Amino acid sequence: MSDQLSQPAKGAPERTASDMSPTTRQVTAGLARRYAAEKRFRLYGMFAIAASLAFLALLLISIVSKGLPAFTQTYMQLDVPLELETLGIDQQTVDGLLDGSISTQAIRRANFNGAIRQGMRERFPEVEGRSATRALYKLVSSGAEFDLAARVMDDPSVLGNRLTLWLPSDDEIGALVKQRADLSAPDTLVTRLDDQAIAWGAELKDAGDFDVRFNTTFFKNGDSREPELAGIRAALVGSAYTLLITFVLSFPIAVAAAIYLEEFAPKNRWTDLVEVNINNLAAVPSIVFGLLGLAVFINFFHLPRSAPVVGGIVLSLMTLPTIIISSRAALKSVPPSIREAARGLGASDLQVVFHHVLPLAMPGILTGTIIGLAQALGETAPLLMIGMVAFIVDIPQGVTDSATVLPVQVYLWADSPERAFTEKTSAAIMVLLAFLIAMNALAVMLRKRFERRW
Amino acid sequence: MDKLHLDQHISQQFNLELEEIRNKVLSMGGLVEQQVTNGLIALLEGDRDLGQSVSQSDYQVNALEVEIDEECTQVLARRQPAASDLRLIVTVIKVITDLERIGDEAEKLGRFSVELANPDETGKYRKELRHLGELVNDMLREALDAFARMDVDAALKVAARDGDVNREYSSLERLLATHLVEDPRQVSKLFKITWCARALERIGDHSVNICEYVVYLVKGRDIRHTSFDQIMKEFS
Amino acid sequence: MIHSMSTTTISDILTPPVHPTGLNGEEQMDTAFDDIKGTVGTQTVDDPKMSAHGVDVFYGDKQAIFDVSLDIGNNEVIAMIGPSGCGKSTFLRCLNRMNDTIPTCRVSGSMSLDGQDLYDPSLDPVLLRARVGMVFQKPNPFAKSIYDNVAYGPRIHGLAGNRAELDDIVTESLKRAGLFDEVKDRLDSPGTGLSGGQQQRLCIARTIAVSPEVILMDEPCSALDPIATARIEELIDELRQNYAIAIVTHSMQQAARVSQRTAYFHLGKLVEVDDTNSVFTNPQHELTENYITGRFG
Repeated sequence: MSDQLSQPAKGAPERTASDMSPTTRQVTAGLARRYAAEKRFRLYGMFAIAASLAFLALLLISIVSKGLPAFTQTYMQLDVPLELETLGIDQQTVDGLLDGSISTQAIRRANFNGAIRQGMRERFPEVEGRSATRALYKLVSSGAEFDLAARVMDDPSVLGNRLTLWLPSDDEIGALVKQRADLSAPDTLVTRLDDQAIAWGAELKDAGDFDVRFNTTFFKNGDSREPELAGIRAALVGSAYTLLITFVLSFPIAVAAAIYLEEFAPKNRWTDLVEVNINNLAAVPSIVFGLLGLAVFINFFHLPRSAPVVGGIVLSLMTLPTIIISSRAALKSVPPSIREAARGLGASDLQVVFHHVLPLAMPGILTGTIIGLAQALGETAPLLMIGMVAFIVDIPQGVTDSATVLPVQVYLWADSPERAFTEKTSAAIMVLLAFLIAMNALAVMLRKRFERRW
Repeated sequence: MDKLHLDQHISQQFNLELEEIRNKVLSMGGLVEQQVTNGLIALLEGDRDLGQSVSQSDYQVNALEVEIDEECTQVLARRQPAASDLRLIVTVIKVITDLERIGDEAEKLGRFSVELANPDETGKYRKELRHLGELVNDMLREALDAFARMDVDAALKVAARDGDVNREYSSLERLLATHLVEDPRQVSKLFKITWCARALERIGDHSVNICEYVVYLVKGRDIRHTSFDQIMKEFS
Repeated sequence: MIHSMSTTTISDILTPPVHPTGLNGEEQMDTAFDDIKGTVGTQTVDDPKMSAHGVDVFYGDKQAIFDVSLDIGNNEVIAMIGPSGCGKSTFLRCLNRMNDTIPTCRVSGSMSLDGQDLYDPSLDPVLLRARVGMVFQKPNPFAKSIYDNVAYGPRIHGLAGNRAELDDIVTESLKRAGLFDEVKDRLDSPGTGLSGGQQQRLCIARTIAVSPEVILMDEPCSALDPIATARIEELIDELRQNYAIAIVTHSMQQAARVSQRTAYFHLGKLVEVDDTNSVFTNPQHELTENYITGRFG
């Protein structure tokens, strides 16, 4: 083979080494090596991309696969007898409700739970004994009474009659139903339920009385001890309020600071010092800002604990350096020729900045701001310090109400032992990611909009 | 400022182009001077062959003029010369025109020398041209010398001798008129000799022109049609 | 006899002359530079629009301009030429105090516009720049529409009482900059979308919209192709009827084409200033000669 290779290829005129110029010879000798190096480098790059994509995919798959069940909720159909006696409502009230003279709020405290229990007993008449009935009651979510109450308050005429409706089931049995587990073989199931409860579940399932629906509760409710009742809304609203405060505070302050430092401040030792400090501030661990917030805003200024306003202020402190640094970079990148042009026409320094430099720097500034806000959105540690780690059931109505934020909610749920909370944790992470993506999309949109103004 | 420093351009090619043009002008000058000298010798010595060769060599001068003209045009187009370079090119274009005219006059001398070549008949009249001829030949040589050396003083000296030429020519004219009266049979030959004198006088004028261009080239000052006293006042 | 004599002389002449000094170009430059005592030529004009006298400019400790005195006359284009770093741009920018923004820049000597001192503390640079407009090397239209680009100056100075007046100013300026016909259908499209030459004419339109008295141009054609350059040069010549114009250029041909007077700067000194005609045919200073003929230096 080897002597065959050394033969010149037929047809093609052979270029021997002596034909070539020294440069050609040397370049030819090195070419293969250079191309190989290039190819190798591309492979490294592709490997790096593939690895990061793989990690991202792993993360997303893990979160989505764990979190998806949280977006559904198992309901069970139950025939509920709404006897006035059980509910503890008298006929007079019913009449009043029907002719509208009494507000439906009057029956809010009625014993709807008793009615549901009665319905359960009637559904499973064979169950006897205190502990067994208690176990039976547990199949229905403790939040079911609120659903029933809402239905009755919508239409008081059902009082005294029977009402067939879908009520949320308890999380443990619900999870089994969602997983389409084989309820007839209790031994194979991983659950905290006992065999008897599983048998009841199997009976309901066979009767077609279970249904899996989209979980609106998750987006409507605040936190709860019961996983099937726990929702993300309080955290979502809390995050929104906190970010709003952060944006309102940090954006104008940071942009003003950046403009002053970049365009107006004399370059001397003091401004150098300020600059160094701002850069250092960006590297300060976030928990330090939390401690500062606790000491200054809560203990000294007595702002309300756990409130988005304090969270927003603390996160502003943290976000400011990021926005200042990126805004300065954006301002610096505006070509000096534009400044000269405006100044050459007789624009004052302020006009130069606000008519020309700032609009051109806006996309960059917005990018920095969004990055800063995204950072703030994901921040947990400083908020723990100022009490935003509270258990919040009610949706905050304003920036001074107690609230929590998405990452803290994730942290709280991740701590809970119930299996349904594990799902919720992942679901909350998904919501957080969606929030982030929405924010980034908004940023891209805003940037496009500003950039379209050339 | 009086030196042109043709070899100091950043562009070596430009140096070479200017140097070549200059050398060609000097060659052309040498050739023209040779023609004038030979024409004069042919005329004075009655050398028919030399006269023949002079009248037949003018094409060389013409060819050089065309060639130099072409090169000057190219330099103008491609280098956009300024200041001294511009003046050099403009001067060259003008100098070669005058040299070509001198060449024509030399050719005329050669042609007439052939026609007047019988030494017995016209010899004594032709000898009258010797003084004017040497004067003019001298002027041409010094004018070319001044151009070659960019020597304003030499150029001005040559220009100052224009008066001598004119005086010499006038006296020659009178002399020939006298001869004409004395010897009317030679009228056509004497006319030809007058033409030769006229040609020599023209050569002197062209030499003066060349000197004026040299002053323009070096000093950037156009001294044509300016009185000589005024010029001397300006440059002394 | 004549024969032999003349041949020797001719061969004499044909021998290339020996360089009398025997110095090469560099050494001559050095000695010549030491000779820049003052400025050659005529620095003053009868009716100066702007006038500089004994101007020194420093950047920190470094002196950029040495004792420059120069007048800019009405209705004339004065070209400033010279090698890079010779101070011509610096001098130009001093004329409307664009160097104010450089903290280390210090100007001494006197500069005046219509006899009024430019560096008088009571003179507002904003007002000065409205009277002395500037066109820059790189076409730098604002990131706004063509209309807004031109209208910007009149707007900030409040030169137009209403929209109609502003429209008139914009139209008139664009017409005078020779751009109107090319852009009249798209006044609302971005100025940055025009070609390089059009952008530069837009910048000129923007400058003349403020109705300045003097226009300073800092290498206005260096980024343009020859046709766009020719348009700008034509425009400069037309603008000369109404304005005093000072133009810094690296192109000597351009200086020769557009200007009435030419000033040659060298290492921060004004070497020579005179009629463009005489500078380009017969410069008086050796440094000027060397520069415009492309000799060492």
